Amino acid sequence: MKLFKKELPFSIGAPAIIWQMVFFYVPLFLLTLSSIIKISSQGHFESLTLDHFAALLKPAYAKIIFRSLFLALGNALLCLCLAYPLAYFLAFRGKRFKNILLFLLIVPFWTNFLLHVYAWYYVLEREGFLNNLLMKIGMIHKPLILLNSLFAIVLMMVYYYLPFMVLPIYTSLERFELRLQEASLDLGASWFETFRRVLLPLSWPGVQAGFFLVFIPSFGEFAIPELMGGDKQFFVGSVVSHYILGETTGSLGAAFTVMSCLALLLSAILLYSVMRRLFKKTWNG
Amino acid sequence: MNNLYKHVSARIGNLSLIAATYLFLYVPIVVLIVFSFNSEQFPSPWVQFTWKWYRELFESVHLWQSFINSLIVAVSSTSLSLILGLCLIFYHAQGGRIGKFLLLFYGNLVIPETVLAVSLLAFFALISIPLGFPTLIIAHTLLGLGFVIPILTARYLELDPKMNEVSLVLGASQMQTFFKITLPLLRPSLIATALLVFIISFDDFILSYFCAGSTAQTLSLYLLSMLRSGVSPVVNALSTLLLCLSSLLVLIFFSIKARSRIF
Repeated sequence: MKLFKKELPFSIGAPAIIWQMVFFYVPLFLLTLSSIIKISSQGHFESLTLDHFAALLKPAYAKIIFRSLFLALGNALLCLCLAYPLAYFLAFRGKRFKNILLFLLIVPFWTNFLLHVYAWYYVLEREGFLNNLLMKIGMIHKPLILLNSLFAIVLMMVYYYLPFMVLPIYTSLERFELRLQEASLDLGASWFETFRRVLLPLSWPGVQAGFFLVFIPSFGEFAIPELMGGDKQFFVGSVVSHYILGETTGSLGAAFTVMSCLALLLSAILLYSVMRRLFKKTWNG
Repeated sequence: MNNLYKHVSARIGNLSLIAATYLFLYVPIVVLIVFSFNSEQFPSPWVQFTWKWYRELFESVHLWQSFINSLIVAVSSTSLSLILGLCLIFYHAQGGRIGKFLLLFYGNLVIPETVLAVSLLAFFALISIPLGFPTLIIAHTLLGLGFVIPILTARYLELDPKMNEVSLVLGASQMQTFFKITLPLLRPSLIATALLVFIISFDDFILSYFCAGSTAQTLSLYLLSMLRSGVSPVVNALSTLLLCLSSLLVLIFFSIKARSRIF
């Protein structure tokens, strides 16, 4: 390619990079900066400070961050448990239903998620579908309160994030041939052995991608806890939005955002290395 | 015999798990659609079939305004991110090195959207840009770039470099080569990516919530206000129509051969 000279200079590629820098990295940097500076009442810069972070060193805030981490982790694991069999089925057993099943999986994924929240209201309401159904078959005698609970939040999270997990696993499973699995079974391995020694290692990249595609956004999720959890369930997303949208709590909000991002980053790195060690220990050792 | 029995029971177990998963996905949607045709408001049971909520839906000015707003934002942010992305790829196609810069765009996947939204909000406030269509389009373009650039460069790198070289050797300019060779080869992935980015922007809630201000009410924000004000069958009717719309888009997406490459 060196033979041919460039007709247009670097500036042709630059707008995308500038856009990304100006509207993505600069705001993030400024947000971080605003968490460590003190601003006087006239709006002038005074000094660098860690006061905002000190104000956050309370068990209540740590609890919120841990709750969000557990919610994200739980969501990712639940999605994984549901998604793996589904992806397996789609990749190997779907046959002529494969396309229609994939279609049915993607349609809700491509529809506004507020509609799904709305739809679950119908199912989970006091006089909703589920309560009616359970009462009709006589499993319960008075309606359960399902909305505005942790249960509703987790349900909605799994519902919304499931395709994020299924699609990467499906892609990684689809790439390799069924014959590998048949060979393993022919050579006398059990189903479980085959799964553990052939299927899982080969689809591991998909599992990992799906895991983080679910884990990271669900940590910052604020709409689902807000809409499904009533006003008692606090997670990182809702706290960040309350503080940032508040009149006087801007820098506290910034500090909290930075702190939770650090917590997310650390736990993601931790999870990643645990997964890698698990992988190495199980299959390369 | 024992093995066969095990095999069959495993198959049945797997099948029922799949069925349960799809039931989980579709029960709420079916309930939603059914109630859009019920003449009485929820929580009343099924009474009678009616079209009246759909009629009411088509008369609601507010809703159509927000629908159009969402379309404007989605179309402009999709085209902006595609143009920006293609410019970068054109530079790459000329032999420019963008490897390092590519990493920049993975940030969009790593940072939770809520964090991006609040930092943008603070940024717009700082440089005193009023919230509205421009800010929303800026934010959504960012979202689009996070998909467009990684996907398109990956597809670009999979193309046969000989094609380019032949065209150049035969005397075409870089520009001609790009528009007559590279772009047509990339077209399926281009359309698929455009659809993906369009729908992501159209359905986006978090960025809209923070960056839209009061002038650019999108469909998501309208839906939020409807959700807060309580259940109305008009929303069910709207949901049914939106589900049809997204089914249509998914069908188009499926008919493009490049589909399996995107996920």
